[in-house]
Amino acid sequence: MREYLKRQKKLFKSEEREKMAALNVMVAGTGGLGTNLAIQLQRIGVNKIYLYDYDKVEISNLNRQLCFGRDDIGKAKVEQAAEFLNQFKLDTEIIAKNEKITEEMELADDIHIIFDALDNFETRFVVDKLAQKYGLPFIHAGVEDLFAQIMLILPESKSRLNDVFAGAEKDDTPAVFSPAVTITASFQLLEALKYLLGRDNYLKDTILHIDLFNSEIEKIELR
Amino acid sequence: MSLKVKFHSLFRIKLKSRGHEYQLEDEIDVMELIDLLDDDYDGYFSKKLLDAGEISPGSIILVNGENVIHKDGVKTKIKDGDTVTLFPPSAGG
Repeated sequence: MREYLKRQKKLFKSEEREKMAALNVMVAGTGGLGTNLAIQLQRIGVNKIYLYDYDKVEISNLNRQLCFGRDDIGKAKVEQAAEFLNQFKLDTEIIAKNEKITEEMELADDIHIIFDALDNFETRFVVDKLAQKYGLPFIHAGVEDLFAQIMLILPESKSRLNDVFAGAEKDDTPAVFSPAVTITASFQLLEALKYLLGRDNYLKDTILHIDLFNSEIEKIELR
Repeated sequence: MSLKVKFHSLFRIKLKSRGHEYQLEDEIDVMELIDLLDDDYDGYFSKKLLDAGEISPGSIILVNGENVIHKDGVKTKIKDGDTVTLFPPSAGG
């Protein structure tokens, strides 16, 4: 086992540690959720992170997108995020994919899960279709104001993202606040790990709703 | 018949309520439920959920976890024992 993961060793059985160290993940979007996820995924020691985005860093990103600073404005997000992460010299491989997500795009054949780190439902529905096409698990997260929702969608799930969230597309720019984004990304990763490591308490046809205003977390069953 | 309506997120905060239970003589549809909610919450839900008589963009209405947009929209029937979940989905990231 890698020396730098010593302090998390007791949390997992040896086969779980092996699974985690071999995980290859796709992070769709390298904004608020995406940078938080990438930082956490690297720290827990996954094998490979495919970071997707085609945007450049803008000043309005800096309130929550943890891999970027003022000097990065105008640079490609994925490349800058990879440079930021690589400076820590940890073992996770970071693959920067500076491209737009489309239904026709080709995904690497070693991906185990897709993380939704997008900021709009239109593209989320595209990623959900990609996940379905490739038979991959997909974990949705959306965060706005002091609220968030997370939903794990598996190839065998009864409900796809569009079944639940059709009509959620809107034109206005959501308000996003760094502490809420970070908590959401952390929950998203933890919920994904429960499934990926083979534990049985993962979200099954359920939305995890996070209300940070009232300090409440609830499961909304999709029966 | 009885039905449960659950509020989440901003709805819960604005209305200072976690939801509402109704005991009704007959089955109703989603539009009739919104009318009932409007009576109890000062016209709040038609403003939040409807746009020209249809479900407004950015809003979702779940009946037993199913989005009514895939059923009959505002004409979707609500039956005895159903749970309606209302929350504005968080879109950002």
